[in-house]
Amino acid sequence: MKAIGVDVGGTFTDLVYCDLGTGSLGIHKVSTTPDDPSRGVMQGITALCQMNGIAPSDIDYVFHGTTTATNAVLEGKGARSGMITNEGFRDVLHIGRHQRVEHYSIMQELPWQNRPLIQRQDRKTVAGRLVPPTGQELVPLDEDGVRRAATELRDAGVESVAICFLFSYLNPAHEVRAKAIVQEVMPEAFVTTSSFISPQFREFERFTTAALAAFVGPKVDRYIAGLGQALRRIGVRGDLRVMASNGGVATPRMVTDKPALTLLSGLAAGVLGGGWIGAQCGRSRLITFDIGGTSADIGIVVDGVFAETDARSTSIAGFPLLMPMLDIHTIGAGGGSIAHVDRGGAFRVGPQSAGAVPGPAAYGRGGTEPTVTDANVVLGRLDPGDFLGGDMALDVAASHAVIARLSETLGMGLLETAEGVLTILNANMANAIRSRTVQKGIDPRGFALVAMGGAGPLHGAEVAAMLSIPEVIVPPYPGINSAMGLLTTDLKYDAIRTQFQVSTAIDTDRIARDCTEMEAELAARLEDDGVAPEAVQFRRSADLRYVGQGYELKVPLPMGAIDAATIVQVWEDFHSAHAGEYGHAFRASPIEVVNLRVTATGALPKLKHMTAPEGGSLSAALVRQADCVFRGTEGLKTFSTPVYRRTLLPVDTPFAGPAILLQKDSTTIVPPGATACVHPTGSIIITLEAAV
Amino acid sequence: MTRIDPVTGAVIQGALENIAIEMGHKLMRMSYSSIIRESEDFGAALTDATGRQMCECKMSTPLQSGPIPGYVRNVREVMEQRGEAVRPGDVIMHNDPYGGASHGPDVAFCVPVFLDGALVAWSVTTAHHLDIGALSPGSCGIVDAVDTYAEGLQFKAIKVYDRGEKVHPVWHILRANIRAPELVVGDMEAQIEAARIGAARFLTLVKTYGTTAIDAAFEDLMDYSERLMRQAIAALPDGDYSATTHLDGYLDDPDPSRKNLPLVVTLKVRGDSLVVDLTGTAPQLPDKPVNMPLVGTVDCAIWLTIRSILLDSVTYGQIPQNSGLTRPIQIVAPRGCLANPIFPAPVIARFCSGNQLADTVMKALAQAVPHQVSAGIGNLRVVAISGLNEGNHWVHMEIMEGSYGGRYGMDGMDAVDTLYANTRNNPVEDIESHIPLRVDRYELREDRMAPGEWRGGIGAIREFTFLNDAGFSLEGDGHTYAPWGFDGGADGHVASLTLRSADGTERVLPSKVPYCKVHAGDKLISRGPCGGGYGDALARAPEVVARDVADGLIPADVALRDFGVVLQGGLPDVAATQAARASRRLHRDGQQTL
Repeated sequence: MKAIGVDVGGTFTDLVYCDLGTGSLGIHKVSTTPDDPSRGVMQGITALCQMNGIAPSDIDYVFHGTTTATNAVLEGKGARSGMITNEGFRDVLHIGRHQRVEHYSIMQELPWQNRPLIQRQDRKTVAGRLVPPTGQELVPLDEDGVRRAATELRDAGVESVAICFLFSYLNPAHEVRAKAIVQEVMPEAFVTTSSFISPQFREFERFTTAALAAFVGPKVDRYIAGLGQALRRIGVRGDLRVMASNGGVATPRMVTDKPALTLLSGLAAGVLGGGWIGAQCGRSRLITFDIGGTSADIGIVVDGVFAETDARSTSIAGFPLLMPMLDIHTIGAGGGSIAHVDRGGAFRVGPQSAGAVPGPAAYGRGGTEPTVTDANVVLGRLDPGDFLGGDMALDVAASHAVIARLSETLGMGLLETAEGVLTILNANMANAIRSRTVQKGIDPRGFALVAMGGAGPLHGAEVAAMLSIPEVIVPPYPGINSAMGLLTTDLKYDAIRTQFQVSTAIDTDRIARDCTEMEAELAARLEDDGVAPEAVQFRRSADLRYVGQGYELKVPLPMGAIDAATIVQVWEDFHSAHAGEYGHAFRASPIEVVNLRVTATGALPKLKHMTAPEGGSLSAALVRQADCVFRGTEGLKTFSTPVYRRTLLPVDTPFAGPAILLQKDSTTIVPPGATACVHPTGSIIITLEAAV
Repeated sequence: MTRIDPVTGAVIQGALENIAIEMGHKLMRMSYSSIIRESEDFGAALTDATGRQMCECKMSTPLQSGPIPGYVRNVREVMEQRGEAVRPGDVIMHNDPYGGASHGPDVAFCVPVFLDGALVAWSVTTAHHLDIGALSPGSCGIVDAVDTYAEGLQFKAIKVYDRGEKVHPVWHILRANIRAPELVVGDMEAQIEAARIGAARFLTLVKTYGTTAIDAAFEDLMDYSERLMRQAIAALPDGDYSATTHLDGYLDDPDPSRKNLPLVVTLKVRGDSLVVDLTGTAPQLPDKPVNMPLVGTVDCAIWLTIRSILLDSVTYGQIPQNSGLTRPIQIVAPRGCLANPIFPAPVIARFCSGNQLADTVMKALAQAVPHQVSAGIGNLRVVAISGLNEGNHWVHMEIMEGSYGGRYGMDGMDAVDTLYANTRNNPVEDIESHIPLRVDRYELREDRMAPGEWRGGIGAIREFTFLNDAGFSLEGDGHTYAPWGFDGGADGHVASLTLRSADGTERVLPSKVPYCKVHAGDKLISRGPCGGGYGDALARAPEVVARDVADGLIPADVALRDFGVVLQGGLPDVAATQAARASRRLHRDGQQTL
């Protein structure tokens, strides 16, 4: 069984080939081709096959991470879309939650008003109304009105339509009927409904999610179809699987039906990769920490389960998105982050970034702002002759010049300034990790930090120290971690139903019935995708809250019978989850079941283990001794620091920091007082001393 | 010069902000009533031992976090006068509108933070509670309270936990005097938990860095915010800038002194300082609760408006909100005016007055920085709806949005909370699932778009049908005075509220309606205000006007009447538009010469 993972990023397309039987692995990187990303993908696959001596026809699976949908939204370049909604509610998408983005701003934009996904002229209303609690019909659907609206939209040149009715999550009948009519009138159009995309309450958020699907649908459809054809042209006959925001993959047909699934998938593969590496090292509680040029992404994994966001915390380009997705916290802090003194005289790092172009001053591409990378160069932590495996020379003088200018403004020494840049950046990142751990009742001291991305291994150990995290894991290929993550996925589909039941008068039969029905729907879907029923696994959960609250917590539901006895345990689990999350439980309060969820996974072949590195010795690995600056208890101190070639390090042989480990896609810093060791699976484990 | 090295200063600032965010996040998510969790009408902040604000939660509503320093200062004063000690484990409740609170329903819970026996800080949460035991159900729409005693329970520095022990009698009194006690007490408990978390986190921070470093970083932070504000004020031309707007007051009251109330603001810019003088503002209404507490409402309205204009976060990013930011601004309000009432003049319905005052400050500042303001905003209104269900009260509050005026280079924001408020609406699917109401309509008003080169924001029309017998009340303004146009833009449009009975009779209501019984089948129709236009409507890009027409915001004849745009097949007819605009300019200039 042979698989390829292809992750398309903004600058590079990363590829990993793996023979899942033997475990042999090959990696490759090509430039992304933004006009048509599939071109870069084909170049990469062709090259990777040659490098590993296989034919494209030998490949069984291509796992693919794409930003097509994401970029369409971020750049505002989607389809001209229309909407059909209830009479009296034409502007749900426009009014939103009647809240401004910024408290203290007159000149702000509201994304949903300044950059509407669907123009008002393309939002049509028709009579028809369903009402709670069961979705009973109060006013029948005006079918002629739907036909009229569809005709107008067609004549206006609209190519996709979102059908959004109030309370459709309780009863999709009106949406389903309207969709059929619209498809008759507009057979070529992409037509979707809010109940199909995300059947849960809160109309602005659900309608916006459907509008996002309509906005990106035609583009995703064309991209996936084109990619499939291109793969066949170069001889790939295996199956294509596409990464989704929920941390699973989907078939091309599923992605075409629900294009919003991929909107936030870009970061999911990275977290999966980090989780897999951690598991390889035998660690079950992980914080994945992926730092690139402009941002740092943080994810949490406990016992193989990836933290997921709640429905109200997910958005893209300022638009809310009601989609199950991995909880990945992104902050604007990376190697290209610019250090500056702001108008009030404070020392800041980021969120502005020099990006790849012009990039840090050290890149010699015209960058004139002091960046985090420049600070690392000044402190001796980046080897000017061995950056990107020697592919790029670093301009040390330029880094000194920009940091010196900053130090003059601040009235601080050069080294203090450079080290200050790192301290401020690391503190920002530590705060971001705190928001996902300490603030949610999780103690990071029991976790290992997986440092990934080009800059993760440079900062991982010092950030971990700030949080008293005892261990840092640096994967064998930190720079292509997302592509690795793609090879660790399963097919994963979600279903949801809104309930609004209260614990004091609970109908457990209704819960059981809804769960069983959702499981049947998902099983049918997976069977269509060629997954045998016995290979399907279900996971049930419920979104619960105390009656009156507005935010739900997700609690697992048992498989099998749901009755008075099992439900008591569910209430108990909710009280505990509430206490864990917020520090307090209201045990006397009744509980409301807001949504039921079922997740179905269809197992796919995946990476099993990493092959052990051959290993060498410290003396063979030693490149040179360098002068490096670190902060100790007595302030800054220069250490004579060994620089090692990572691939030549001995396995299972601890060595003390400070040390610098070179490899092509990253540089790892082992600070003074820490110990590093190559794990038999090829990762490096840095153990921190009694942390601050 | 800074007191602490810039690196440690930046690290401590980040840690402080992180604490305030955590407090707010937890309060919002734990709370029960929609006014807190959906409307986000809550505050969370840390102050130093004396009540100077160190940081606030950026998700909280400005009018809630802003007053926190005032609460703390008054709590300290009151306890000192009583000779009552603050001790570790205490939790102190406070809602005195003459002692820092914005109004009575905004109850604060203050947790003192001690290090080695010394008081080092306060961790405080505030929130708007559904009911506080006033004369009619709910805590909005109490527009007929005659004095502060009629506004509900008054808590003046009351310990609800004493050295960690719950003070049960206080909680018994609360439960017995508040409608919907389960919800209200649940929200209060959530507030206490959130404040305690803030206290614990701050204590960890102080232990990590030491009090000397924290104090130094905090002083630096205040200087930092002060410096930014002074720079912004110094950039304004010295001079006096005056503006007047009006409140409806009580339109159906026979007493003329209770309606058409002027708010007068004079900004006196002198170097890097600013005096905000409210002289000329109407006298207080001694027995009507639209008076504004000077500390807690008036000061916040002024500070927030000035910072939103001069230090707009789109340009300046997140500036630490702390007591330094307000040092360059002095407020003068004659005692006994609407903006500085004398106890026990009632204040519970000060929400709309305060926002109108904020709008007046913007109108004055517009003369100095015309490119940083919007034309006049449409004010907000709050509807409180309540009923009985098997002897238990249900109370629902709905904040009816306003809209912004046009801005230099941008249209006004449509159907949105304005200036010092920034709450969220309740989803229709949430309202109908939990309250006996049917929402029949919620969309933009059509043909009510204030002309301007950049049009005014458009208000929302909302229609509700009562499914059971119930009661409602309205606390609003802006039914008489349209939002002001700016720089040649037209004035906006007033708001209105109509009650249509099940039998079809209609009653147009004033902007203040005390508790009023309604029956199943009755319907409320609210039309939101539309903000003023900015700049000459004849300069609005013709293709943008064409889109306004295509979007159904104005009909084609209004495009011609107000904007001088002639449309042909939906597109602007360039020659005809030029001609129409030229003749309109000529006509207008002619009128001006006459």
